[in-house]
Amino acid sequence: MNDSSSTSILDSLTSGILAVDLDSRVLFVSAALCRRLGIDRDAWLGKPAAGLFGPANPRISAKRSALYRLDPRRDGPKSEYREIEWSDGNRIVHLREDSSPLYDQAGQLTGRLFAYHDLSWEKTIDQMKSEFISVASHELRTPMTSIKGSVDLILGGCVGEVSSEALELLEVAHSACDRMIRLINNILDLSKIEAGQIQLNLEWIDLAIVVERSLRSLNALAGQAGIKLKQNFPNGLPPVEADRDRIEQVITNLVSNAIKFSPANGEVEICLSADNGWIRCSVSDQGCGIAEKDLSRIFGKFQQAGLPQRGAGTGLGLAITYALVTEHKGKIWAESRIGEGSRFVFCLPVAVRREA
Amino acid sequence: MNSLPLPTVQKVLVVEDDPDIQKVIRMSLRHGGVNDVVLTGDGRECLAAVNRVRPDLILLDVSMPHLDGYQTCVLLKANPETKSIPVIFLTAKVQAQEAEIGMQSGALGYLSKPFDPLTLHEQILALLAKGAARGNP
Repeated sequence: MNDSSSTSILDSLTSGILAVDLDSRVLFVSAALCRRLGIDRDAWLGKPAAGLFGPANPRISAKRSALYRLDPRRDGPKSEYREIEWSDGNRIVHLREDSSPLYDQAGQLTGRLFAYHDLSWEKTIDQMKSEFISVASHELRTPMTSIKGSVDLILGGCVGEVSSEALELLEVAHSACDRMIRLINNILDLSKIEAGQIQLNLEWIDLAIVVERSLRSLNALAGQAGIKLKQNFPNGLPPVEADRDRIEQVITNLVSNAIKFSPANGEVEICLSADNGWIRCSVSDQGCGIAEKDLSRIFGKFQQAGLPQRGAGTGLGLAITYALVTEHKGKIWAESRIGEGSRFVFCLPVAVRREA
Repeated sequence: MNSLPLPTVQKVLVVEDDPDIQKVIRMSLRHGGVNDVVLTGDGRECLAAVNRVRPDLILLDVSMPHLDGYQTCVLLKANPETKSIPVIFLTAKVQAQEAEIGMQSGALGYLSKPFDPLTLHEQILALLAKGAARGNP
């Protein structure tokens, strides 16, 4: 296959292709990308690739910008894919960027190769899904209001005394209503996070204070279950830039899960530490543990690796937790062995504070 | 130092299109000691009744036929006869931007469905007290 037929093949792709050398200069740009960017290929060969995407747009964060990965030396042999945003002057276009190292025939790194796929259709579908979930959430809330309201009024004694058997059954209905409402709230929350529709209110926070606040709200739950909450925080941890409420939601999810899966009189330990540019938070329980084969799927929707000792979840808590940590550019994972308890760990990057 | 009088509510105009929820709201308000509850099914009915009823408070749903809650609230607040009547939304529209639209339409507060029927009256009084402290209905 000669150069000309390779070019024809690449030009026939609907996705845009860009190859740059180690100095981020344009080696090749496909016809589809030229059309999208409104540029003339020949005029750009050998020019700095950063200019292809036009000036920085203030509506697009630096990390979502097309310019972010245009540094072959920094990225080296890593292959990456991410969603980026690019402005054509009128609107923001969503693209998926796949990038991989570019090697010559001798195996030497010579630059980087990028493929840009239009995500407009996927974004439209996402939007439709979010709208559907929002409408469904509203429609489900309406009958739930009648059911929960009626049950609560009877339980509250507003219509006189009821038999103890009826009371017991009404408690079951009350608890199921609460679970259904949590489920509706979680589905709505997760759909918003997945659609990128949540706005993180980033501020500099001391994670220890957030953990303490979360533990205070869980003290009663732990006390009822006979679980001791133990905390282990060193002094002087650097602050992280995060959304206080959302990180509290992450910690509360992890600790309440640990309580649910712990045996009576067990202990749940929450540790914070600084670790090579990250603040690490771990939540350890003495529950039944999770099989290794299940560790990778427990952050999925409606996944559960075992039966809780108490209370029932919605099956979405860990999926929301995972999505929130990821939204903060953090990392989260679980470590466990059957019979030896579990440890859930999340890390948030310690960013360098920029002085105003 | 003058302290603000504690808010009281004796007559509530409920604007809610779901008859089952109407019953729950009425019983919930009665549980809180409010016996004078007038029920209407949408914004148009509310506007037709408000001058006759002269309620201490309007409890307003958002999604309703003919005239939704947001539009109803705007019209109530634009009318000198009704603008001083406090309006609290009680709605299944729970997203932050929906609450923001509600508050921008001139409401005093925004309560979500499903609500706790045993504490609805207390929540209303808390919002009225907060509004009185801010100096707005």
